[in-house]
Amino acid sequence: MDIKQIDIKQYYKDQRKVEWRTDIRKGMKTKERVAMTRTKMLEQDPKIRNKNGKEVNLGLTERLAIEEAKRCIDCPDPTCISGCPVNIYIPKFIKKIEVGDFLGAAKIIKETNSLPAVCGRVCPQEKQCEAQCFYSIKLNQPPVAIGFLERFAADYEQNSGKMATPEVAESNGIKVAAVGSGPASLAWATDMARMGYDVTVFEALHEIGGVLKYGIPDFRLPNSVVDVEINNVKAMGVKFVTNFIVGKTASIEVLRDRGFEAFFVASGAGLPRFMNIPGENFNGIFSSNEFLTRVNLMGAAKDDYDTPVSLGKNIAVIGGGNTAMDSVRIAKRLGAERAMIVYRRTRDEMPARLEEVEHALDEEIEFMNLNNPIEYIADANGKVKEMVLQKMELGEPDDSGRRRPIPIEGSEYKVPVDVVIVAVGVSPNPLIPASVKGLKTTKWGTITVNDDFQSSIEDIFAGGDIVRGGATVILAMGDGRDAATGMDKYIQNKIKK
Amino acid sequence: MTDLTTRYLGLYLKNPLVAASSGYTSSIDYLKSLEKNGIGAIVLKSLFEEEIINEYHDRLNSDDRFGSNIEFLDYYDYDLKEESLDKYIQLIKDAKQELSIPVIASVNCVTSQEWTDFAVKLQEAGADALELNIFIMPSDTKRSGREIEEEYLKISKKIKGIVSIPVAVKMSSYFSNVSEMIQNLDKTGIEGLVLFNRSYSLDFDIENMDLTSSSNVLSKPEDYTLPLRWIALNSNKVNCSLAASTGIHDGKSVIKMLLAGATVIQLASVLYLHGPESINSMLKELEEWMNSKKFLNIDQFRGKLSRDSVKNPAEFERVQFMKHFSNKKL
Repeated sequence: MDIKQIDIKQYYKDQRKVEWRTDIRKGMKTKERVAMTRTKMLEQDPKIRNKNGKEVNLGLTERLAIEEAKRCIDCPDPTCISGCPVNIYIPKFIKKIEVGDFLGAAKIIKETNSLPAVCGRVCPQEKQCEAQCFYSIKLNQPPVAIGFLERFAADYEQNSGKMATPEVAESNGIKVAAVGSGPASLAWATDMARMGYDVTVFEALHEIGGVLKYGIPDFRLPNSVVDVEINNVKAMGVKFVTNFIVGKTASIEVLRDRGFEAFFVASGAGLPRFMNIPGENFNGIFSSNEFLTRVNLMGAAKDDYDTPVSLGKNIAVIGGGNTAMDSVRIAKRLGAERAMIVYRRTRDEMPARLEEVEHALDEEIEFMNLNNPIEYIADANGKVKEMVLQKMELGEPDDSGRRRPIPIEGSEYKVPVDVVIVAVGVSPNPLIPASVKGLKTTKWGTITVNDDFQSSIEDIFAGGDIVRGGATVILAMGDGRDAATGMDKYIQNKIKK
Repeated sequence: MTDLTTRYLGLYLKNPLVAASSGYTSSIDYLKSLEKNGIGAIVLKSLFEEEIINEYHDRLNSDDRFGSNIEFLDYYDYDLKEESLDKYIQLIKDAKQELSIPVIASVNCVTSQEWTDFAVKLQEAGADALELNIFIMPSDTKRSGREIEEEYLKISKKIKGIVSIPVAVKMSSYFSNVSEMIQNLDKTGIEGLVLFNRSYSLDFDIENMDLTSSSNVLSKPEDYTLPLRWIALNSNKVNCSLAASTGIHDGKSVIKMLLAGATVIQLASVLYLHGPESINSMLKELEEWMNSKKFLNIDQFRGKLSRDSVKNPAEFERVQFMKHFSNKKL
């Protein structure tokens, strides 16, 4: 069922009236529900976890999950859904948890979200569904822990050995392809497979999962969890081709000749950005992309691999986003004595999720806010040994609404460093825009698309970071789903003609 | 035949008229038209930090998909800076290839750190000289006037220390002691001083109750008296060349600046108002005047009305109108 294709409000109303949900609501007064306190996520001790690579958050127990589910009052107008880019039917799955039907809860989530265990871990729920929760907008109380519950249901299903594979329509024999195997592609592939298309996903690296694998460390999102979700997509008949760079190994044109009717480009934002300050090319200075890919995907932190990263005692990570938090927390786990975040604004302006910042602080990461590197100094061998930092103060807000950092003249000072990781953002992967003639791009280097996520070339659709510059996992997945709807419309119209 | 040649920042100029940094010096087509109309040298349009901020604003508003994407935008100003620098370097290279007159690059400085790396890259791109357009807004009450003045000197010294091409500083007239500032800047070793830069004026839009830019963007012909006084007061007291800028709209004011001791005259507003053809008419007026006065070259009259060359130097120190008005019949 595609809940987008029906009168959504009426559907929610009708569903809310079904007997089992009415019974649950009757079973406990709303007053009692709102009096309950939000469940805390169980997590590893910070002083232990900052020395191991295991997952920080341990998930909820069945009891805690049911208790948290009780807090949801099953609103007549479920505003939380409006905050979810893939429209998960949130109250319905939460009420399934309340009655102890955890597999049923997972099934509801998977109606619109093919990666629930991933989203339950890495989605910024505090800015999305939880920000729109009745508790947040009306009661000014902590929202229902929707993210924790999503993860609980997904983990329960993964551990049950009873993974439900979404139903797939009869094959229509039409070949479609995706470029990249990150979250946008996985969501797109799931929906296209559901509709009966013959789906192939081309991946440049040796592993499937894109940013989920190379970008997010195991302590936040274990690769094993991602693999279970990918296997589920595979079980729907989606084919994955690794070590295949579309635009190099074969062009879109060649793939067209091989019978692919339409393409979904979700090649991500893998081009690292730098600050272009003096000394940034010295040895020991990495982009966060390189550092994370080598550690997460290429075993650079393991003794038995041939391409280790040499870290040292003092590691500085430049930036204040989630990538910077991931990089610095990995550095700490790999033995850095001083793992520093250098960020030119205050902690309030950091783009990273609050939870990630708090976790980093708990793990003894040193935050050097209102500091900005202006130069790096190397030893005789060209290896970085010091960074020159300049102190900053905040000026008037800029167009993004945040106060601009302004350098304080004469405040420069040196800090010894063994390694610097530059995590100041990424740019869209330029390969497809450069290899496809006539493909329109924006000034930002992203692919221009219409509301159906169709590009200037009719059989090429695009979504995720290559369209947004840098998106959350769930926004990328939302794009993938919308692009699948758009692509289906395009193909069906073409067939009619 | 009159000889209009002059040396500015150690560069040979066929005449003392220089196109000031402005929109007119921002593209190769404009630059070619300036050369065709006889300009002696050009100062390329400065790369303003403000422009980078405006570009950021435009891009942010061009697609709302990016508005909430703080992580993507967090350091985007660095990308824009790099992009602007690349474009600017290309403009220098094109100008050097297409023009035969000297090409002076221009940098808008607000901090000593920000643009030092930038200056080296402009030199490497082939600029014949560098003009630093320094303006530090004196609105921060935590910094004393003296501290701000020190900042100007610090920027000048720092840039002078890292580039080998000649350096000029374009300064503002907003100093408690303008002459002291001119002479202190001269001591930093710079080859030229441009008096003065013209800052953006803010205005209010009372209909929309919003901020807007003032209509007072271009200089007016009567504005030339400001640089005239300070050039005349200082031209014999500094080692560096002085360039006159602000309010020079005709040949007469060009002549006056040279008489005050200016080495060159920078033009901007007049180009906007009357086009590049005005260069020709100003040069013609200068030549005709020199012929009428029997001057064969500029050095024969440069500085003749500077403070140290006139009989009544006290006149330069006058600031009040009392004498003027007391003699005037109302």
